[in-house]
Amino acid sequence: MASIARSSLLRQVASAPKSAVATKPAFQKSIIANAARATAFHTTARRPLLPPLPQKVEGTVNDAAPVPPTDPSHGSYHWTFDRLVAASLVPITLTPFAAGSVHPVLDATLCATLLIHSHTGFQNIIVDYVPKYRVPRARKAFSWGLNAATVVVGLALYQYETNDIGLTETIKRIWKA
Amino acid sequence: MAALRSSTSALLGAAASRPALRIARAGVPAAVRGMADLASGATHSNTASGENAKLKTFQIYRWNPDQPTEKPRMQAYTLDLNKTGPMVLDALIRIKNEIDPTLTFRRSCREGICGSCAMNINGTNTLACLCRIPAEDNSELKIYPLPHTYVVKDLVPDLTQFYKQYKSIKPYLQRDTPSPDGKEYRQSKADRKKLDGLYECILCACCSTSCPSYWWNSEEYLGPAILLQSYRWLADSRDEKTLQRRDALNNSMSLYRCHTILNCTRTCPKGLNPGLAIQSIKKEMAL
Repeated sequence: MASIARSSLLRQVASAPKSAVATKPAFQKSIIANAARATAFHTTARRPLLPPLPQKVEGTVNDAAPVPPTDPSHGSYHWTFDRLVAASLVPITLTPFAAGSVHPVLDATLCATLLIHSHTGFQNIIVDYVPKYRVPRARKAFSWGLNAATVVVGLALYQYETNDIGLTETIKRIWKA
Repeated sequence: MAALRSSTSALLGAAASRPALRIARAGVPAAVRGMADLASGATHSNTASGENAKLKTFQIYRWNPDQPTEKPRMQAYTLDLNKTGPMVLDALIRIKNEIDPTLTFRRSCREGICGSCAMNINGTNTLACLCRIPAEDNSELKIYPLPHTYVVKDLVPDLTQFYKQYKSIKPYLQRDTPSPDGKEYRQSKADRKKLDGLYECILCACCSTSCPSYWWNSEEYLGPAILLQSYRWLADSRDEKTLQRRDALNNSMSLYRCHTILNCTRTCPKGLNPGLAIQSIKKEMAL
């Protein structure tokens, strides 16, 4: 849980002196060697994305944190819509299994719902990890990039549904291939 | 501040370059004050290095704001558990009294009602006064300040943002109409029951600082503790500003950065369920 926030190096050092070194300070050198060896195993270089900034207190310490303006379309409506789409995916996904074959309209509905579901899912990731107060331009770029990707995928799915065999049929063929 | 503990903290040299490892002094000084001494004398003699000594090493996060260029380090203290009280806070107080008076931590009530001694003990946010020292194994006990907080000194985190956010939810009864009999605002037993599991929160910040979502977005996301408090006022039948309270949460950041990770519920030292409270707010706002 908390160990994610801790730097891996600190964790290594903290876990290195396992043995009863309290009575043998001579072993301290080997602790360093152990820690160095352990950190050497971390082959990926540490590239902290958006490392925490120095502390900044807005106003005085006794002021309340600012309350953002009410925005249901990014708040409660968004969340409710998200849940409805996710819940509706369950029966839509299961129907082809139960029915054997599927009507093209239902297949198109599945595609559209999946598209919306993944769009809002990616949106959540962007809102979480590309904070507006910190990197506003990157946030804008990511949001529009996601919108563009969704449009492209939507067009592709439309082409696939109208001119080709459709999603359910494709999965069926791959399954049996 | 340079001391954010998730920042790079290569401590390679630190552990060795200073007299990090100390052993509890043999023989307790005659006038040791406080609870740390309570357990001594009862069953064991005063010899720390005797055969019966149950030695336990505590690895404690140290950082001194007076030397801001020095990196944070872990310092080890070894205590005889036979002479220490059962809880981690007893051990910390004993270390401060007897071994190292420079060790800094918050504590007040030592019975889990003030929330001062919240810290990260063996990887779990909890109150030091409610956390037993695991006596079964000889492994070291690691104590850090609350994760992803700005550190003031050693085990003392800066909770300014936490309190500012608490203030922003207006944690008090808001009413315009006076009570019918001019005395108290009465409440049915069923309505009072809704506040159980909410009013007990002591705002120790264990849950908020265990929440990854709060780690990433503490500037805007309120975090489990504040949202639990928010729900305490939303659920109160006497409060008349429920709609305004909901509107204040109705944006993409304040409430909806909760992704039901439930670290908050797992870590709460008071056994409360902030995750459930947050879901209740979401449910109320959805319908």
